[in-house]
Amino acid sequence: MSEFFADPYQFYAAHPGWLFVTATLLPLLSFVLIFLASGAWALLRRYRDDHPAAERMYYLFGGDVGGRGAAYVATGAIGLAFLLSLAGFLVFTFVDGDQEAARDRHESAIKELREKLVAGKGDRKEVEQDLREQEGALAAQDARWAGRSDWLRIFPGITNDPRRGTVLQLGFRIDSLAALMFMMVTFIATLIHIFSIGYMGEELEETVEDHHVHGEHGPLRRRGRFGRFFMYLSLFCFSMLNLVMADNLFLVFVSWELVGICSYLLVGFYFERQSASNAANKAFIVNRVGDAGFIIGLLILWTYVGTFNFEDLFRQVRCPVRDTQGGLVLGGQFVRGDLEPKENGAQTLRVTAPDDAAGASALLFPRDPSGDFHGVGPHGLEAINWDQVGTVEVHASPEKGQFGVMPYWMLVVAGLGIFLGCVGKSAQFPLHVWLPDAMEGPTPVSALIHAATMVAAGVYLVARVYPLFTPEALLVIAYIGGITLFVAASVAVVMTDIKKVLAYSTVSQLGYLMLALGVGGWTAGLFHLMTHAFFKALLFLCSGAVIYGCHHEQDMLKMGGLFPKMKITALTMLAGVLAISGVPTFSGWYSKDAILAQAFGYVYVHPGHVLLFLLPLVTAGITTFYMFRMWFLTFAGRPRDAHVYEHAHEPPWLLTIPLIVLAVCSVCVAWGRQPLNPEESFLAEKIGESQPASVIADFGRVENDPLWKGGRLKDEAHSERYYAQDMGWLAGDLALGLTILGVVFASLLYYYRVLDPAESQQQFPAVHAFLTHKWYFDEMYSAIIVRPSLVVAHWFKWFDLHVIDGAIHSVAYTAVWVAKWDGRFDNGVVDGLVNVVGRSVSGVGGSLRRVQTGSLRGYVLFLVLAAVGVFLLLTWWVTLVLAG
Amino acid sequence: MSEIGLTHYLLLGAVLFVCGAVCMATKRNAIGILMGVELVLNGSTINFVAFAHFNETFEMEGQVFALFVIVLAAAEAAVALAIVLNFYNNHASVDVDTAEELKG
Repeated sequence: MSEFFADPYQFYAAHPGWLFVTATLLPLLSFVLIFLASGAWALLRRYRDDHPAAERMYYLFGGDVGGRGAAYVATGAIGLAFLLSLAGFLVFTFVDGDQEAARDRHESAIKELREKLVAGKGDRKEVEQDLREQEGALAAQDARWAGRSDWLRIFPGITNDPRRGTVLQLGFRIDSLAALMFMMVTFIATLIHIFSIGYMGEELEETVEDHHVHGEHGPLRRRGRFGRFFMYLSLFCFSMLNLVMADNLFLVFVSWELVGICSYLLVGFYFERQSASNAANKAFIVNRVGDAGFIIGLLILWTYVGTFNFEDLFRQVRCPVRDTQGGLVLGGQFVRGDLEPKENGAQTLRVTAPDDAAGASALLFPRDPSGDFHGVGPHGLEAINWDQVGTVEVHASPEKGQFGVMPYWMLVVAGLGIFLGCVGKSAQFPLHVWLPDAMEGPTPVSALIHAATMVAAGVYLVARVYPLFTPEALLVIAYIGGITLFVAASVAVVMTDIKKVLAYSTVSQLGYLMLALGVGGWTAGLFHLMTHAFFKALLFLCSGAVIYGCHHEQDMLKMGGLFPKMKITALTMLAGVLAISGVPTFSGWYSKDAILAQAFGYVYVHPGHVLLFLLPLVTAGITTFYMFRMWFLTFAGRPRDAHVYEHAHEPPWLLTIPLIVLAVCSVCVAWGRQPLNPEESFLAEKIGESQPASVIADFGRVENDPLWKGGRLKDEAHSERYYAQDMGWLAGDLALGLTILGVVFASLLYYYRVLDPAESQQQFPAVHAFLTHKWYFDEMYSAIIVRPSLVVAHWFKWFDLHVIDGAIHSVAYTAVWVAKWDGRFDNGVVDGLVNVVGRSVSGVGGSLRRVQTGSLRGYVLFLVLAAVGVFLLLTWWVTLVLAG
Repeated sequence: MSEIGLTHYLLLGAVLFVCGAVCMATKRNAIGILMGVELVLNGSTINFVAFAHFNETFEMEGQVFALFVIVLAAAEAAVALAIVLNFYNNHASVDVDTAEELKG
């Protein structure tokens, strides 16, 4: 810290990774500021009429429209975060551009020096000195872009194995993917903040009328919530950036939940509306289902591997890429085998050949994060020719506890669990139902959270933990993606709400991303993630501009012919439509073709999974169709609703500038040195630099892949990735043909009106009903899950009311009855006895007091009489005694 | 008539005692009552002296008690007269029947 305050410039030059950390913390700062200021503001509002000082302070904070400051703070913070990310990215690319080469140099030098040391050549001291220098240089290079510190220490006594997890860490690691994500998120978020200042303008009013909610006295009137909106946006940006830079799964999980709660808050922003609060609940609850899987995955990894750190996890689960001996044996592969105990307490390591996956049931990994397999055995594994020997027994026993064993199916479950979390967050089938409902939130939120960033978090996480996914898990991912993209696209075709079309389009595109990752198109999937973020944010903001211009009309059937009235919006939206359709030279073309090519390559190798290519191919045509349908219905043709048309207007510049910027980005964000050559895309190249080695291990290697020097790998000419590169043009051309077909159909139906859409609806009423009911997913969940749980809840309610409450009531009644009788006994017998004693004492006293007459003569008389009485008594007694 | 003996003294004491008692019981005047008290005391003193004289066992005790009763009578008279004076100051009367404020 002191280093930072002494000279910030020097600090950032030495630790450029902290540029990104600062960029992450800025929105958090903005959130805290707005939170505290709005708290103070609300407090002052209460006392403003009583104390002049409070009133002055109140107006200092902005008076009745105090929220505007919040917008500036939030926008400033995220804008600055973008500039920092940009600076960080530039440093990453151009200052540390040859990072890999430098790493290689250091590593090979270290290897040589170590060998020298072992062989005893040269001056020992000098060699050791050099070794230290080289190692220091390597560590310093890593420290530039990463950092971590302990956060929580779990009580170590829980487990006896010191290598099991005990510490949760805070940490960040920037690679080119994270840097690009940072730029993308902060850039789009900045534009959306600016857009929101205009779009949410009416929230600045002292009282806002919500025409969607009707109370007893007309529409609901409430205070404007401008500041709150920006507060939530800031918190969201912080969570998202934190998720992107996290270097361990636990921190990802924390950010994951933070992102979820922001989504909940923003979807339910108009929480007075029943539909909005329902949608918020639905989004949150559906995501919980996914998170349950996520937690299961986390626990499995924590139990078996003992760390959440990405690097450590991958280094243990997968064999290291670089071999200390120079020869590469198992690089990037899962190592499967068994650890068998021997009679004398030692163990034998039995390793199965990489391709012979059926041979062993367990996954072997070195317990020490820095350990690897190559030191094992008398000759090391690299000396073994796997083609001749199926299974290898390493005779020299490894030290006890040096190797961990994890059932292979456990890793499959862990991968699927983490993927289930991503299914929830990225709205994949079957948990996609929340996203279309989430359109109840304000439109900028839909653009930021539900198109560009949050839903991308799931895809991002799949990409991040890619080496953890076994081939089985990847196949599931691919199929889930394939189903999602088709289902969502088919529903989008019949939607008439402009935002719902975009929502389903988002779900469909996310399906593309998952499919791409599942079939080995790591780079392609993330490439599409980036381009999609731009054009989907653009499309959503355009729809926001249309909604704003049409006074909150969202039904496309009431629009039409708006082109002359809102030219900028229409043209920018057209750019987005062309981009998502994959028209050549628009950004979507590059990325979608890459995905289709990879899917084609996969299907070529595994013909059984032909659906994985057909679904995205057909959906490419459907996508074009529904996007053009949306554009035609909104902007082309004759106006269908005179009222909407009359009031429609181009939104102010605050809204249109972000549109124009995003439109430009949507067109050219994927361009490279030669804009028209898809192979040259700069963005794809940068993303590819972060590609984990496991992609190559699982899906084969192509010509320009770095790192690979040999070893046992799939034959170059028969791998999925090879065919994707070699024959991908075929997939691209097919998709282009279907795109053209989609445009033609859309224009025939909705522009030239050669075919009547209403007529085709009547021709296929069953299909139309099926699609407008969104494949009956909501109805199905309602029937399978919601209703049964309600029925069970009612049962429990009855049980609770009658049995449990009944038992408690009867106990209470008995107690009351007993108490009543006890009370009677107490009042009657015990108190009675005491009262009788008291009363008799009082009575005796009362009668005795009459004797005290106060008459002196009376007393004397008593005295005399008493004396006489005593005398007589004594006489009588004496007589008696004497007589007898 | 025989010689004057113990019985005669005792009879005198009894007469004096009864006179004093009757005086106390009948007088309304506080001074009169005090006189009655004196009579009663003197009656008892005669008894003590008579017994001291005629019974050797009680020779010393009888004399001492007689003196003790005389001293007691003097003290009693002083205190009682002080009360009577005070009573008179407050009620302008020495009628003991009016002194009934402390009755139960």
